[in-house]
Amino acid sequence: MIVASKKPIEEVIENIKDYDKILLLGCNECVTVCEAGGKKEVGILASTLRMYFLNQGKDMKIDERTLERQCDQEYLDEIRDMADQYDAILSLACGVGVQFTAEQYFSLPVYPGVNTCFLGATEERGLWTERCQACGQCILAYTGGICPVSRCAKRILNGPCGGSSDGKCEISKELACAWQLIVERLKALDRLDDYEKLFPLKDWSSDRAGGPRKVIREDVQQ
Amino acid sequence: MEGDCHYNSGNFRARKRVEQAQEILNTIGISGERAQMYNLSSSEGPLFAQIAREMTEKIRKLGPNPIKTALKKAA
Repeated sequence: MIVASKKPIEEVIENIKDYDKILLLGCNECVTVCEAGGKKEVGILASTLRMYFLNQGKDMKIDERTLERQCDQEYLDEIRDMADQYDAILSLACGVGVQFTAEQYFSLPVYPGVNTCFLGATEERGLWTERCQACGQCILAYTGGICPVSRCAKRILNGPCGGSSDGKCEISKELACAWQLIVERLKALDRLDDYEKLFPLKDWSSDRAGGPRKVIREDVQQ
Repeated sequence: MEGDCHYNSGNFRARKRVEQAQEILNTIGISGERAQMYNLSSSEGPLFAQIAREMTEKIRKLGPNPIKTALKKAA
């Protein structure tokens, strides 16, 4: 999922302080799982902001709504009838949701309430780590299900570098060497001969480095 | 007392939430001391009374809700 973390309250306040009517829009998907922008966080942030502005002598209207997703038009359409009641939307969705909301509500300013960090998973409650960088050419079949593109600091594809030491990456003793993990996994799967195969040059044109990307499926387009 | 919660971990999670609430209140300029957590059991009546007196005293010293004052000023 997309992992995000809450923006500092001071930054959010700075962005919305001049408005009188705000819609605080949460998202029921990734940001709910990483406890940054779901219904609960919307409730807490709305309370916090109301209290702050009341303390400044300003009775700001802050309404709360959590949509199933903000990256699909059908869900954003649910607030179509009420959108003109507000001066601005504060969206706690990931960067995708904020932008899509802004596109769908062109004349309303839309502000982000979270910082979108990476594609990752919940290792344990309160700890989310990066697992995928969306390179567009998945090679997990050859690396025992462990990704060297996202978990190797150098994104190298043919084994560890000279900096790998005691299973740790040279950039930090807390960071596991991805290639150490890959070799151990291939050993456990009895597929070490996969490790011996040389990787051809990776086609990086499908990575973000090649520019903004898209996926088209003609078979499902209307 | 702390750690004796019938539901084991509930009291630890509650403490973290109270600390969160205190932090939020402090960030927005309302004293976080207005929210406090105490550990005691349902049979400790006198202790409860003492804590209630202590908290009342603390709040009196902190003064009325700053939001009320601010709204009055703006009105």
